[in-house]
Amino acid sequence: MFNISLKNTLRPGFAGRTFKSGYRFQRYWGTPMATAFFCGETGAGLFIISMLLDFMPGIILGLLITGVGKTFFHLTHMGVPSKSWRAILRPDRSWISRGLWGIIFFVGFGSLHILGQIFGVMPEALAQPVYYLALAGAMVVIVYQGFAMSHSTAISLWSTGLMPVSSMLYGLLAGTSLITILSVFGFSAAHMDMVITVQNILLVGVLVTLISLLHGAKNGSKGAQQSYVLLTSDFLARPFLYGVVGIGVLIPLLIGLLASQNTITILVSGVCVLIGFCLFRLLIFKAGVLDPILSPADIFKR
Amino acid sequence: MTSYGMVFDVKRCIGCNACTVACKQENSLPDGVFFTRTLSAETGEFPNVSRTYLPTICNHCEDAPCEKVCPSGATWTRDDGIVMVDADKCIGCGSCAVACPYDMRTQIEETQIKAGLFGDGNLTPFEEQGYSRFECGTFTKCDFCSERVDAGKDPACVATCPTDARIFGDLDDPDSKVSRLIRDRLGRQPLPEKNTRPKVFYID
Ligand code: SF4
Ligand code: SF4
Repeated sequence: MFNISLKNTLRPGFAGRTFKSGYRFQRYWGTPMATAFFCGETGAGLFIISMLLDFMPGIILGLLITGVGKTFFHLTHMGVPSKSWRAILRPDRSWISRGLWGIIFFVGFGSLHILGQIFGVMPEALAQPVYYLALAGAMVVIVYQGFAMSHSTAISLWSTGLMPVSSMLYGLLAGTSLITILSVFGFSAAHMDMVITVQNILLVGVLVTLISLLHGAKNGSKGAQQSYVLLTSDFLARPFLYGVVGIGVLIPLLIGLLASQNTITILVSGVCVLIGFCLFRLLIFKAGVLDPILSPADIFKR
Repeated sequence: MTSYGMVFDVKRCIGCNACTVACKQENSLPDGVFFTRTLSAETGEFPNVSRTYLPTICNHCEDAPCEKVCPSGATWTRDDGIVMVDADKCIGCGSCAVACPYDMRTQIEETQIKAGLFGDGNLTPFEEQGYSRFECGTFTKCDFCSERVDAGKDPACVATCPTDARIFGDLDDPDSKVSRLIRDRLGRQPLPEKNTRPKVFYID
């Protein structure tokens, strides 16, 4: 339906891998990394909300999505998967390292929490610290990817404080959506009305974040302006506007505000959110543009 | 303290890419991998058009984002300011590649190494001895020919440049040729707004 192939990268003003000066796409973080980010934020969001609601199916599913899904896609992406453990070594400076520590805390203490809850084997004195350490790990996992992207100034579209905000909002939104989807299959959390209200609030938050992101890109550096064009009027525009904004935000928002809640509307709304979020992760990677290294016009301007 | 850097004299560069070839030869770079390139750009409108050549290379940034984001400690900076990558430590996460504003990181892919320059899997003796330095899947980049620099020589691209458009030297020595050129001809760094403090300067 949408043509977002990188064959589209050789376009006017873009240098691709040629020996010409011009814009270049970032090309090393692709679909596996985007999927890993999607799994990490979705799993952490589901885990956090389920922990707050004490909703065990959500806690287990959130942990699995991050622990298995995110790990699998990260390993698929890595050039040297056998040495991936080395990524824990520099939490003092690297958000990837910090995130890995977050995943270890999240999966480790989250698993202990689940075992403690299901088998009742956790001593009372340990239950609370384990609960909070698992929650803290999940909080790191839900935001660190946004920080990792915003940390570097290379890709102006990413170099904004909106990245961790979008990670957090999208992660929590996907979490609430999965909780509503689980309710359709007979796993109902307490306070479902509140979950749906929170989902609607998060949808508004995501919409404002997307608009702010586009606004910042439009008025940003030359590379950011190229990203804006790609997302709004070039080959990424249809998947972004129809997929991310339309399917991922507006349809669920309209359903949430106007339609009565039943199995179909809950399912459609939840699936739409997940499709939109997944596309967002992919397109933000695809739209990452590097500024020309040195414009000759700049040299001769003096 | 020594702090190595480079100056590109854009007025002298004729775009022959001899530097590119010398670098590929010196570092046994596989097909598609370049540590330095001389880019070309057309400026102006017909009939007043001209072509400019812009040599590019890793800028060995003083505040290198590629080093800051590296989670494994594979990217590090020597005391003389050369930013290095330890292939044994690199996990191939690509964080450095998306953090480098200058697109100076390249992944060594298994297919490049296995297929060889002729694409048929039969490596030439030159490739066989050269490719042993690479770890498949890791990210690599220019190291200012650190082995040559340690031996008191210029990087291969500088030694090869037929027009002296590339000048290498100690930026911390006010009397070095690079320092004088930067001072006298108002050297400009690439993308200074990225706050990476590149140690490569352009003069025209
Ligand atoms: S030019 Fe890129 S690869 Fe080289 S030191 Fe700077 S950020 Fe790192
Ligand atoms: S690819 Fe290697 S050098 Fe680059 S950030 Fe990852 S571990 Fe460090």
